[in-house]
Formats: sequence, C-alpha cells, structure tokens
Amino acid sequence: MNRSWTRRWPIVLAMLAALLVSVSGCAGSAQATSWMGLTIAGERLYAADLEQVRELGAADGRPLWAFPDDPKEEKRGAFYATPAVGEGYVIVASQVPGGGFFSQPRNVVWALDADTGSKLWSFYDAAGQYVEGGAISGGVFVIGNSDGNVYALDVESGALRWVFEAGHRVWATPLIVSDMVYIGSMDRHLYALDLSNGEVRWDFHAEGAFASTPALRDGTLYIGAFDDRLYAVDARTGTERWRFPGENWFWGSPVVYSDTVYAADVNGNVYAVDAETGEPIWDQPQSLNAPVRAGPALTGDGSMLFVGSQNGTLYALDTADGFLLWSQDSEGQVLSTPVVGGSLVYESLLHGPYRIRALHVDNGREMWAYPRVVEEQE
Amino acid sequence: MFDFIAYPLANLMLLFYYFLGHQTVVAIAVLTVLIRLLILPLTLGQQKSARRMQELQPKIAKLQKKYGKDKERLTQEQMKLYKEAGINPMGGCLPLLIQLPIMFGLYRAIIYCVPTTPLQLFQFSHHIYKWLPGVVGLVPLQSAFLGMDLGQPPSVAQWWSYALPALVLATSWLQQKLLTPPAASDDQSQATAVNQQMQIMMPLMFGLMSLQFAVGLSIYFIISNLIGIAQYYFIPVDRDGGGTGGKGQKQSERRK
Repeated sequence: MNRSWTRRWPIVLAMLAALLVSVSGCAGSAQATSWMGLTIAGERLYAADLEQVRELGAADGRPLWAFPDDPKEEKRGAFYATPAVGEGYVIVASQVPGGGFFSQPRNVVWALDADTGSKLWSFYDAAGQYVEGGAISGGVFVIGNSDGNVYALDVESGALRWVFEAGHRVWATPLIVSDMVYIGSMDRHLYALDLSNGEVRWDFHAEGAFASTPALRDGTLYIGAFDDRLYAVDARTGTERWRFPGENWFWGSPVVYSDTVYAADVNGNVYAVDAETGEPIWDQPQSLNAPVRAGPALTGDGSMLFVGSQNGTLYALDTADGFLLWSQDSEGQVLSTPVVGGSLVYESLLHGPYRIRALHVDNGREMWAYPRVVEEQE
Repeated sequence: MFDFIAYPLANLMLLFYYFLGHQTVVAIAVLTVLIRLLILPLTLGQQKSARRMQELQPKIAKLQKKYGKDKERLTQEQMKLYKEAGINPMGGCLPLLIQLPIMFGLYRAIIYCVPTTPLQLFQFSHHIYKWLPGVVGLVPLQSAFLGMDLGQPPSVAQWWSYALPALVLATSWLQQKLLTPPAASDDQSQATAVNQQMQIMMPLMFGLMSLQFAVGLSIYFIISNLIGIAQYYFIPVDRDGGGTGGKGQKQSERRK
C-alpha cells in the first residue's frame, strides 16, 4: 500500500457513496416523479408536459401555445398535475426546484389565459408537491397538496379563500358538486367540505388511503381506497352503502355509467359493479396482467372502456361483458387517465418517445402523436 | 438496484408499525435495532480489530523509532506485525462498506413507506406482502414527527430539522472515534493516516447525506450510531480475539 493510495482512499470512498446514491435512485432530481395529466375541453387538449403546459388541437395535435414559451429561459419547474379548465382560463401547478443546497423547491399554482397561455396569476403558499390537479366551481379553484392541505383560491385573483388541513398528504383531485367539495386524503378520510368556507360537513373513514376522485350518481359517491376496496358512500351524510373487494389498491378514479360503476385496481383487474348493490356485473373481472395506476375512461355512449397500463398498452374493453376489443402498445407508460373526445381517445405517455397519442376509439389506430417528429426533439 | 433489500425492509417496517402503535419512528427504530443485530458479527469484528490495533500501538511505536527514516521498511514491518497479529488494517472499513447497501436499501424502504412522490408509491404497491398481518391499507405510513415530514429532507421551514444531520454527524464521529485506534504521536504509517482520514470523512459524508435525504433516514443513522457506541461500551469482545470492549476490558483488568 503506497502513500498515494492512502491519499486517494477517502476520495474513492466518497465516489463509491456517490455511485451508490445515484444507482439507488436517491439523487433522482432529474427523474420524473409523477405522471403528466391530460384534459380535454371542446376542441382543445391541455397537457401537463413536464417542463411546460401545452394546448393542442384535439383533432390534429397541432400545438397552439405552451407555458412557459421557452423552458430553458423561464424555469417554471415540472408540470405533472392535470390542468383544470374554466371559462377563458386554465389552472395548472408545478414544482420549481430550489436553487441552492439549502433552498427548498417552490410549489406554484398558475392561472393562464386559455387563448394565449399568458400568466394571469400565481399562488406560492403550499409547501408540498401538487400531484393531481384541482377542480373549478363557483369562482373557486380547489386543489390538494402533499403538505396535507386543501387550498381554495379565487379564480379571478388567485387570492386564498380558505385552507383545510387534512391529516396526511392530499394527492387526489376534488369533486365539486354544487356547494360541496368531496376530496380524499392519505389520512384515509374522504371529506365533504363546504365550498364557501372549507368547513367539514362530514368525513368518511376507510381502512386505507384515498388518492382518487369520487364519481357521483344519484346521491351516491363511488371511490376506491388503498385498502383494496371500492366504496359507495351517501353523498349527503357520508354513510357507507356498500363496499366491494378488489385484489389490490384502487388508485384510479372509478367511472359511472347508467347503473354500473367501473373501476380498476393496481394489479390490472377491471371490475364492473352494480351501482345499487355493489355486486359484480361481469362474470369475472377483466384481468389485464399489467400494473394499472389510472382509472378507466368511458366513451360518451358508455359502450367502451379504456384502461392504460404501466407496460404502455392502452386497452379498449366492451362495457357489456369486459371483453377486450383492441389494445394498442406504445413505448412508455400510461399512468394517467386517458381522456375521450368524440371518436378519439388520448393517452399521455411517461418515459416514451411521444408524450401524447390520439387513437381512434373504434380500432386503436394512431391518428396523431405529439411531438410529431421525434428526431427534432433530440 | 437495492430494491431486493428495500422491499423486505419496507414490509418489516409495515409490520412493526402495525404492532407498535402506528408510530413510524418506532418502526424505524425497531428496524434499526434488527439491522444492527444482523450485522453484529461484522461490527464486533470491527470492534475487535480496533482493540487489537490499540494493543499493537507500543510495538508500532518501537518500529517507528527503529525504521523511522526508511518508510518502505517501516511499512513492510508494520504489515508483518499486522499479519502476525491477524489484523487487516483496513478491517475497520469493511463493515462500514457492507452497511452502505443496507443503508440505501433502508433509505428506499423509508421512501416507500412514507413516499413523497407518486411513482415511488406506485412502485411499492406491487411489493407489499399481503400475507403479513395488518399490512393491508397501512401505506403510506404517518409521516409527521415533531412537526417534520419523515419522508422529506430537512427544510428551512422546519429549521429544527437541521438538528438531525448535526446529530448524525456528531454520533457518527463519536462512533468512528471509538472504533479508530489511537495513533502514537509519531506514527506516520499509511494505515494510521487512512484511519484518521476515515474518522473525519465518514461522519462528514453521513452528515451531508442527511441534509439531502429523508429525515427518517437520519433517525436510522442516529439510532444506529448510538447502538454502535453502546455496543462498544457494553458488549465485551472475545478475549482470544485480542481484547474486550471498553467497559468489559476495564473490568477484566481490575480482576487482574
């Protein structure tokens, strides 16, 4: 052992530690931490696209505007949360990394002009990451945050109307109906809050966390939890009507059509459940044999169900019996809920060459993909 | 890469959380004790090695007087002495290096149980051992502890959270100091230099890592270091291995 080795030994040790940190994924600031949400409003598609928020033509994927214009010049952080669209504005959220060793990331809500993408206002108060998007109703934008709070902002000015403090992270998008906000939290409670002041009207306690948005039909809320159950809860009182067992967590939001609730668990089992009784409708659940994070999406007439999976495949199922109609593979992961508009179904892809693809609902044929030319991005 | 360690550890943490009053810090503490028990043979070996080195210090001092000007010869003689005594002068580092994968596995276990990002949580959703009692519906575990978020690194908003990296640094330094044999005043051997540098570098490394990593990992470091320090004082090392632990050694000396 010579003296130069002696001098290098601590450096080698530090390098080894750095290597271990990098390979263990601990230093993953550059890695995606979530999935990018997608929403459709009329003929426009709004997408959280990591460094930007984009508005695209729904029919052809033509880019209309992006915020910020140049993410290299204006660092607005990472956009994951699904954009919420109102009358003439779009509200999105991002996490802007801290600049120095001790500085913290800033979590920002941005209101943008729906026609131009220019900034209207911003809100900086939250301490945690915004995971799913917010909801707009009655001039109020409501969004949950990883700091355990639910924030209600004035849509015109961005002023804080009220804050509700839950017992754990709030990753779910709220459902706002009339003057009530229904929102689930990782503290295993589904809360019904007064839209005007954030006061709790009732709360429903499950045995697992809530990370999805409830679906509402005839006064009953349907929501899945991390205790592997799908619940039906009275929207007025918060009392449980029935529970349906799955195989693993229900993370994606269920959808309801007519008298049937459709939901998928993270093991890739898709269920059709009687909305009144909680009894299964299909002979057996459709097992996709792939991890499924997001909830299903329905066509307007309720005849088809679309489910995206982590292995990159989008599945189209017949709602009558759960049979597979078609599936379309892609490079990447489909972790956010697909959206349906007319004859197209849109998927947002994580870790793929394309961020967004539009497929025909009838056969899964690709109609367009964004970015259009991959080479230009490289 | 460390998920093969992280998943079992995360599930153990869930089990401890379920049976120990739904306290995340308690679950981390019990898991830490378990890990320390698992690596006890390694850490005892480290302790034994440090003791033997301590015992050799007079002989090393003699060698230095004798070969002080001939560094090459001095190194050779020292290595010969270590070999005769059955000591690897780098033996003190090996347990630390072996602990690193366990530490990163535990780091991932903590972020799976107290996740800060959805992708971490989704990844773990398929690796929960549902056959364990009580684990269904537990994740994510309660993340609040003394106003801090166990899944987040220390932050300015919770300024007191910076006490944890400071404690990690202090306890790492103390543990390292106890396990590093004191050098003779004129000992300039490579092994001694390495040990002295390790005494500074390792605590610094752990302290800096604690600034960047989840608060929960700092709690693991602190408890683990405190156990290491207690182990040094209270667990006697086999005499035929060359010595006893601190307190045990003093008692055996008194008996003589």
